[in-house]
Amino acid sequence: MWTKIRHWLDVRIGLDNIIQTQVIDYRIPKNTNIFYTLGFLAVVAYGIQVVTGILLLIYYVPHPDHAFGSVQDIMTKVPYGWLFREMHAVGSNLMIMVVMLHMVTVFLMGNYKRPRELTWFGGGLILIVTVIFGLSGYLLPWTQLSYWATTVVTSMPTAFPVIGEPISRILRGGDYVSATTLSRFFALHVAILPPIFLALMGVHLFFINRIGISATPFGKIDEEKRPLTEYKRKTYPDGYPYYPAFFKKQMYMMMAYFAVMFFIITFLPTLFFPNEANMPADPFHTPQTIKPAWYLLAPYQLLKLIPNKFFGIMLQLILIIVFLLWPFLDIQKEKNVLKRPVLRGVFLFLLVAWVVLLFWGRT
Amino acid sequence: MMRYRILWGTLLFMLPLTVHANYQQEFENEFLTKPWAGVQIEQNFCISCHSSEQMKPEFRSIPEEWRASWHAQNNVSCEHCHGGDSKDAALAMSPQRGFVGSPQYKDVPEFCGKCHIAILTNFLESGHGKALKAGKKAPNCVVCHGSHNIQKASINIISVQLCTKCHSYERAKVMKQALFLTETRIGELANKLEELKHEGIYPETDEKSLFNTQAEFRALFHTVDVNLVKDRTDEFTTKLDQIDNNIQATYRSLKFRKNFSAFLMLSFVGMGIVIFLL
Amino acid sequence: MNRRRFLKMILAFLGSITFFSFIFSFLKYLTAIPARATAANKITIRENEIASGDARTIVYQNSPAIIINRPDKGFIALSLICTHLGCVVEFNKSSQKLVCPCHAGTYDLEGNVISGPPPKPLTALPLKIEGDSIIIG
Repeated sequence: MWTKIRHWLDVRIGLDNIIQTQVIDYRIPKNTNIFYTLGFLAVVAYGIQVVTGILLLIYYVPHPDHAFGSVQDIMTKVPYGWLFREMHAVGSNLMIMVVMLHMVTVFLMGNYKRPRELTWFGGGLILIVTVIFGLSGYLLPWTQLSYWATTVVTSMPTAFPVIGEPISRILRGGDYVSATTLSRFFALHVAILPPIFLALMGVHLFFINRIGISATPFGKIDEEKRPLTEYKRKTYPDGYPYYPAFFKKQMYMMMAYFAVMFFIITFLPTLFFPNEANMPADPFHTPQTIKPAWYLLAPYQLLKLIPNKFFGIMLQLILIIVFLLWPFLDIQKEKNVLKRPVLRGVFLFLLVAWVVLLFWGRT
Repeated sequence: MMRYRILWGTLLFMLPLTVHANYQQEFENEFLTKPWAGVQIEQNFCISCHSSEQMKPEFRSIPEEWRASWHAQNNVSCEHCHGGDSKDAALAMSPQRGFVGSPQYKDVPEFCGKCHIAILTNFLESGHGKALKAGKKAPNCVVCHGSHNIQKASINIISVQLCTKCHSYERAKVMKQALFLTETRIGELANKLEELKHEGIYPETDEKSLFNTQAEFRALFHTVDVNLVKDRTDEFTTKLDQIDNNIQATYRSLKFRKNFSAFLMLSFVGMGIVIFLL
Repeated sequence: MNRRRFLKMILAFLGSITFFSFIFSFLKYLTAIPARATAANKITIRENEIASGDARTIVYQNSPAIIINRPDKGFIALSLICTHLGCVVEFNKSSQKLVCPCHAGTYDLEGNVISGPPPKPLTALPLKIEGDSIIIG
């Protein structure tokens, strides 16, 4: 029966050709490692967020008077509401970790180099969109943590001299975090960002497929002579076929992702919910410590360290721009990071600094 | 090469700016005192005059005492009890703005009873209240609870030092015993509700029910009528039982959740292992 | 039965268990509808049992509530749980107000807060008048 369906589709969309080129003839270089599955994992993570998010959307009410109560209802009254809410909350943090890990491994393997600069740039934009997803979603449960962390983060733009205040006001829809803020963050989280994310992801995947997988320099297979001056899709005729070998790796990582997610839901359900995350927002009582989410702690701490706010935020912006445009700044032919001690040193320093700032920002 | 120089130059230029002593203070000033950072510590003229150097010493310690109180934690300040206008220095103590000054010893119950209505009613019916109104030796609210440094009420206010000021401790002890079990249970339930909040469940109905039970129970105490308390203890116990049942049910559902997600985790781990072996 | 086939069978088994657990929770989640308001949940009172300006306390769904016959606007049913900390509010007939004995939170006969610490108005309960009966719920 399956053959009949397959043939029916083949007549209409050329299914056989698709399967042949994308699955059977698609060859993966022999020296890929497990980190090559991280991109796929990010897509899976996003898919989980979308599905659980839509389910939550069915019961959530985006108004300050009802937001907290509706989330509590999801957690206590709706059957299995707790499951989907926990998956969404834990999943959001895991997704950001996966996306960051993906970025770090691509960087270390030098896979951003020419001709793959656009892929890296698109990926950088995706990271920013993911963080904005996290930011906008954080406010929605309308808890003490949501309210005050959003207050702090939406005032970070005030560091800009002239345009800072208006930017903050537009973000918040006023001088305070209020119902207006909730509405626009909700619209952002649910309607504006998803199509942007999908478009960026589509473009990112298109680029990868179009130019071919970049092989790591750690094995015998090497890149052609650089610099490249004309378009050539990279193929690996003596690599192994995508299905079943690489597909198996991806499935395995997906199971690992779910296992980690459910490990956290079972044994550490309050890992991402400190006390303030379980109290309804009270605009009149500022909790003792206000902190943004962990992925924003490092920038937050950096901003606290640099006494001049303007320089603080400029530094952050410069770092972001350097990060996005890195393939255009790093035009050295050498791809193997083991042979580039300066880059390794700088990168390690930045990574350690980021982690240090993160833990510092927690106190 | 040039781009590296620009990059490093910019970063190094930023570095000296990090050498600064009170960045925390400045950050807090810049961000946390903005209008959106919650209710501003508004200028309260009662406090500012009463803490100033010109104020006579016995009144100067009052704002300090008040700040440590449970009233202060709940935004109940000078004008809520004493009247007056805390935002206007000239009219801060004006009768036109409702200023009543400090009450006479025997008028204290009505003073506190402006808000604490149920307790006032019960107190006036009690032996303590009747003695107070008859001009005899009797306690008012301040004797047991303090005036400005008022803390959350607890059963330990009933103590040897306090009650033996006027009579033997025997009757107070009997009352304390009558209250003890219920009070302890209320405390335990309050702790369990806190625990539930840490687990992500916000038990609003039960919290309110518990507060109501506790408030009624404590208001009843002010009649200092041991028999009344004993008679009505059953009623309170029933309400507490109900709250306890709800809490138990919540714990059971939390347990179910843990089992369910553990089951899912194990099946994913299993599938991962199988795929790995495949 | 070789190793591969065995492993595939286990995978199919585990996969279907997981899949069906999710489908089960998903379906239960989507079809959760609160219990119908059955006759047992409703309270019926005759109109003439409450005089104008007077009120009657009832127990609705295990919590105290009140039906007030307002002189100008007719009947209203309100929950008596104070929105401050949960004490039971009392009806004061002479001043035509609802006052909470714990911290003197005062509400008008619509349930709106007049003074005191309560942050929100009293919850109004669904009330219908059919013929000469008042039905709550």
